[in-house]
Amino acid sequence: MPVLLAVVLLAALVVLAAACGSSTSTSSSPSAAATTSSGVLPSPTAGSSITVVYHYPAPPKSVLDQFTAQTGVKVNWVEVGWDNLQTKIATAATSNTYFADLTDVDWSKVGQYYKTKWFMPLNPYFDAAALKADMPQIYTFASNGQQLALPFDSSFTVTTLNTKIAKAAGVTGTPANLTDYTNALKQIKAKGAVPNQLDITFAAAEGLSTYWYQLTAAYGGQVLDASYAPVFTSPSSAGYKALQWMVDAYKSGLVPKANIGMADYQGFTSEMAPGRVASVFSDYSGSVGSIYDVPSSSKVVGQVQYIPTPGVSGPAPNLSNPDGVGIPKTAKNVAGALAFIKWFTDTQQQAIWAGLNGSSDVISGFPLPARVSSLQLLAKGNKVSGASELMTLLGSSRAEFPGPGAPPWYSQFSNAVYTNIHQAAVGAETVQQAVTNIATEVNQLKASQ
Amino acid sequence: MSGERTPTGRKRPRKRGRFLPYILLSPLVLFIGALALYPTILTTVQAFFTVNPMDPPTRFSGLANFRALFHNSFVRQSAANTALYIVVGVGLSTLFGLGIALVLQRRSRWRGVVLALVVLPWALPAVVESVIWGWIYDPTFGVLNSVLKSLGLINSDHVWIGIGRIVSIVLIELVQVWQITPLAALLILAALQSIPQELYEAARVDGAGRWEMFRRVTLPLVRPGLAVAMVESLILSLNVFDQVYVLNGFAPGGASIMMQTYQISFNNLNFGQGYALSLLATFATMLLSLLILAVVYRRVEF
Repeated sequence: MPVLLAVVLLAALVVLAAACGSSTSTSSSPSAAATTSSGVLPSPTAGSSITVVYHYPAPPKSVLDQFTAQTGVKVNWVEVGWDNLQTKIATAATSNTYFADLTDVDWSKVGQYYKTKWFMPLNPYFDAAALKADMPQIYTFASNGQQLALPFDSSFTVTTLNTKIAKAAGVTGTPANLTDYTNALKQIKAKGAVPNQLDITFAAAEGLSTYWYQLTAAYGGQVLDASYAPVFTSPSSAGYKALQWMVDAYKSGLVPKANIGMADYQGFTSEMAPGRVASVFSDYSGSVGSIYDVPSSSKVVGQVQYIPTPGVSGPAPNLSNPDGVGIPKTAKNVAGALAFIKWFTDTQQQAIWAGLNGSSDVISGFPLPARVSSLQLLAKGNKVSGASELMTLLGSSRAEFPGPGAPPWYSQFSNAVYTNIHQAAVGAETVQQAVTNIATEVNQLKASQ
Repeated sequence: MSGERTPTGRKRPRKRGRFLPYILLSPLVLFIGALALYPTILTTVQAFFTVNPMDPPTRFSGLANFRALFHNSFVRQSAANTALYIVVGVGLSTLFGLGIALVLQRRSRWRGVVLALVVLPWALPAVVESVIWGWIYDPTFGVLNSVLKSLGLINSDHVWIGIGRIVSIVLIELVQVWQITPLAALLILAALQSIPQELYEAARVDGAGRWEMFRRVTLPLVRPGLAVAMVESLILSLNVFDQVYVLNGFAPGGASIMMQTYQISFNNLNFGQGYALSLLATFATMLLSLLILAVVYRRVEF
C-alpha cells in the first residue's frame, strides 16, 4: 500500500509540475484583433478588465474611472519597480504565461523584443508615420518596421546648470560648447563655490551607460555604427574622448568621490537638489519641475535651468530614453489594452499626467508628455518649469542608436559599458582597457547572433 | 475505542490509521516536490542545454555552458568575491554567535529582553537592513564617518563601499553577519543548554578554571550546534544578493555569484548558463557543507 501511495503522490506531483509549466493564457487571441484595418481599433468588451503592470504609480482612480466610463473596461494598475518589471516580463514571456495586458517597453529593449517576439506589433492599429510629428520619439519603439510600443512619456537627457552657483563663481552666460562647459566647471571649482561641481553617477548601472552615450553624442559621434560595430576604440573617437573626460572629471575631483556608488536619480536628489554640485550633464528631462523646483526636497528652487547640451562646436543632440507602453503576446484583453493605449497617450491625457489639471491628477514622477501638442498645452498654461526650453530640446532629441535602434543584445552591451567605465573610474582599469573590453564584448555579441 | 486485539491482548491500530502518516505528509511532499525537487531536476537537465530566447531553439549543448562560465572573467571574479563573503560571513557569525550564546546562557532577569533584542536583526528583511547600513556607510551623511572623524581617526569623508574590493566585501558582509548572527547564536545556545551541568561540576572538582572548562567541556560538546550554525551561515553567505545589490549595485568589485547568476539569466537572457551557474553554486554549497560537517561536527551523547 505505501508503494501505491507513493505512485499516487508521484502522479500528483507530475500533474502539478505540468500545471506549473503550462501557459495560463486562455482568452482572446491577438490574431483576432490583428485582422482589423490599419488605424482602426477593435471595440473593447464592456464589463471586461485589463491589467496594466508598470513602474510608475497608478494614475488617480478618478481619472482611471473616466476611462472605464468611456469604454466599459476596468483598469487594474499594478506598480512594479523597473528592474523587477524587466525580470517579470522575461520570465512571463519565456514561460508563455499571462501577467499583464499592458506593460513597459523600455527603449533599450526594443531590439530584444523584436527578436524574441514577446510583444505584439501595433502597426495595424496606430499609424506611426502620421503620429511622428506630434510624437517625435515614436520610432524609438520600432525595430525592422515593427512598432512594438507607443511612447508613454518623452524622457530624454538634458544638461542642467545651477545659475546661482555659476554666477557666484563668475561664470556669466551659458557655456556654448564642451570646452566652455569644462572651463566653467573648473572655474567654479577654483572659486570654491561648492565642494564638487559636476554630477556623474558612476554606479555600475544603466544611468552610467546613458551618460557615456550622451557625452559621446556631445563629442559629435556615437558608440556603435549602423551595423553595430564599435567605433570608440581609437583615442581620437568621440566615445574614447567622452570616456576619458568622464574618468578625468572623477579623478580630478569635479565629481564627488561618493558618486562611485550612486545611481542617477540618487545623484539628482542628493547632490544637485541640495546645491552640492553645480551641474548635471545627463539629467532627466523634467527634473527641474519634478525635483529642483520642489521646495520640500530641494534647496535650489528657482536656481536650476535647462541649458542647450554643450557639444564640440555648439549645441549637441539630446538623446532619447523614453518609456513605452506595449502589449505582451500573452495578453488576454487586447482590445481593452489598445483602447487604453489610445486613451493614455492622447494629447489631453498626456498633459494631465504632467499637471495640466493641477497636482491632484498627475502621475507621480511622470517626466514629460510624449506629445509636443501636450507640451504646448502645458506651456500655454505655464504648468511646467522650463516648458518652452524643453519643447526646443525635445525637437532636437535623437535616438540613442539612430537608424536600426537598440541592438537585440543591448542589455549585455550596457552591462559591459557600465561595468568597465565603473572599473576605469575606481582605477581598476585604464580608459584604453575599458574601451577594449567593451569593444571585445560587442564583437563577441555580434558574432554570436 | 475501536481496533482489533492481537494475541497478546494489545490493540492493533485500525488499517486506516496505518496510512494516516502518509496522508498527513503528502501535502508537504507535494509542496517540496513542486517547489524544490522539480526545479532542481529541471535546472540540472537544462544546464546542459542552450536555453536562450535570443538564440532559439532550445538544444542540447553538453558542457558548453560550463565551459563558457569558466572562461567568463566576471564569473571568476564573482566566485572569488563569494569565497571572501563566505570566509567573513561564516567566521564572524560563528564567533559572534558563540559569544552571544555564552552570554545568553547565564541566568539573568534581563535574559528575555536581551534575547528579543538579539533576534531583532534576524527578523528584519535584508533589503531594509541594507538600506539602514547604507546610511551608516554613506560617505557624506553616514554615522561611520562622523564617529571616525570625531575620534580623529580620519580627516575627511571616506568612501567605504565601491572603491576597494576587499573593504567593500567585508563591509557588505558585515551587514549580513549582523542579520545571520542571531540564528547562529540560537543554534549554539540550544547546543550549550543541552550540556549537562554535572560535567562542569566534575571539571570544577578536578580544579579546572573557566577557560579550561570552556576549552575542555563546552567547545567539544557544542560542536554539533557549531556545525549546524556554520552550515546555515555558509548557505546564506554563498547566496548573498540583497545586501550586495543595495549597497554596491552590479559593480564587479563586490558582485557575488548569485548576482552573476541573475545577470546571466535575466539581463543576458542566457537561461542555460544561469542554470549551469546555479547548479555549480548548489554543488559548492553541498561540498563546503560536507567539509564543515567533516571537520567540525562530532556526534555527542550524554
